[in-house]
Amino acid sequence: MSKKLVNAIADMKEEEALNIAKKMVEDGSDPTAIVDAAREAMDIVGQRYEKGEYFLPELMLAGEMMAQITEMIKPELAKMPEVKRFGKVLIGTVEGDIHDIGKNIVTFMLDVNGFEVLDLGVDVPPQKFVETIKKFKPQVIALSGFLTLAFDAMKETVGAIEAAGLRDDVQIMVGGGQVNEEISKYAGADAYGKDAMAGVTLAKKWTGAK
Amino acid sequence: MRIIGEKINGTRQRVAQAIEERDSAFIQDLAAKQAEAGVAWLDVNAGTRQDKEPDDLIWLVETIQSTVDVPLCLDSANPQALVAAIQVVEQTPMINSISGEPQRLEGILPLVAEHGCPTIALAMDDAGIPETCEERMEVVRKLMETARAHGVPDDDMYIDPLAMTLATNTDSALITLDTMHAIRQEYPETHLIMGLSNISFGLPARSYINRAFLILALAAGLDSAILDPLDRELRAALVTARLILGQDRHCLGYTRAYRAGLFNGMESNS
Repeated sequence: MSKKLVNAIADMKEEEALNIAKKMVEDGSDPTAIVDAAREAMDIVGQRYEKGEYFLPELMLAGEMMAQITEMIKPELAKMPEVKRFGKVLIGTVEGDIHDIGKNIVTFMLDVNGFEVLDLGVDVPPQKFVETIKKFKPQVIALSGFLTLAFDAMKETVGAIEAAGLRDDVQIMVGGGQVNEEISKYAGADAYGKDAMAGVTLAKKWTGAK
Repeated sequence: MRIIGEKINGTRQRVAQAIEERDSAFIQDLAAKQAEAGVAWLDVNAGTRQDKEPDDLIWLVETIQSTVDVPLCLDSANPQALVAAIQVVEQTPMINSISGEPQRLEGILPLVAEHGCPTIALAMDDAGIPETCEERMEVVRKLMETARAHGVPDDDMYIDPLAMTLATNTDSALITLDTMHAIRQEYPETHLIMGLSNISFGLPARSYINRAFLILALAAGLDSAILDPLDRELRAALVTARLILGQDRHCLGYTRAYRAGLFNGMESNS
């Protein structure tokens, strides 16, 4: 049953995947098995994306299926033990910018590569990052932005993290739209990631993950 | 139909390198090839080296002007860089671009009015790119009102309705085309312009998507575009679509393109 779920998600058969997941829940399957199957499928989707077999629409659909399945098993999920993760990444689109496509791809790829990712969404004020760093304690911060005004917002966010005395606890990467090495330096970040895989590579390097 | 050649853009890695190394030959070659392809303007974007942008842009302008006499389209969101570059251009440049973002609107519009520049105006503001046609029209109305208040003639306004990728919203091209129809209705004297390639972001075989979209946009009233003028397939599609849309008197644009060899080597040219 769970092998079928893996294949249905990985092959973009949304209706079939949701039906299988629903049936598994009704039959009283271990929610861990459902989550593991979904995660295995996401891993396959991520690999197919990297190989150029899948594209942005497939990532979006996979994310939607994952969200719906998670919703289905939510009551059971709370009882589950934590999955071992490489490290924590806090991600968000900086204040004043509402673009999220690139950020969502990075979140997806970090997640399938074994990171615990907390996504603050779009138009995130610097103070929101600071407060969440205190609670969530991530090793890595990923700031996304598409508009040129995001450059200054990135700089302000890094500045706010510094002012809160948290700068030495985290590594910061920036990316999206017109962002490049120069902007990374301008914002006071540690590195620029040109695409989702570059982000994963940075996060692995910074957390010592293999 | 007016084409703005997109190739001299510092966000492309090879061009950024040429700018940094002051490689005039590379830039002049790009300029000459696009001029030969018959562009109305050459887009000039110095990239995002923030503090260096004014100097880089001036260098690009002077380097290009010494080879070709096509008017330039100064591409920057930075008012300082534009002010600097306007001092050295030989012909009235197009400005790329203003938008509803206050910094770009208030910083750049006075410059446009003073120098009588044709200007690209993006249908977005500091809240980003609006999702719906109606919201984009609100931004366009605000832009037009401000431009008119500065005395910019409608005929100098090149409005870009903006296209988001189909990969995340399969209605996004329809929203763009609807917005174009609405702009044509309300502001018939303005021009409609577009950068084509965003529509296909995140998808494979992008040139097919870009080409089909260009043709549909032409039917919706597009009369200028920022594109790669060296892309023969795209130019062939453009020439053909204009013929079909009744924009090519006596079919001369089409037959001249044929005689000039535009269709040579393509599969179905018999």
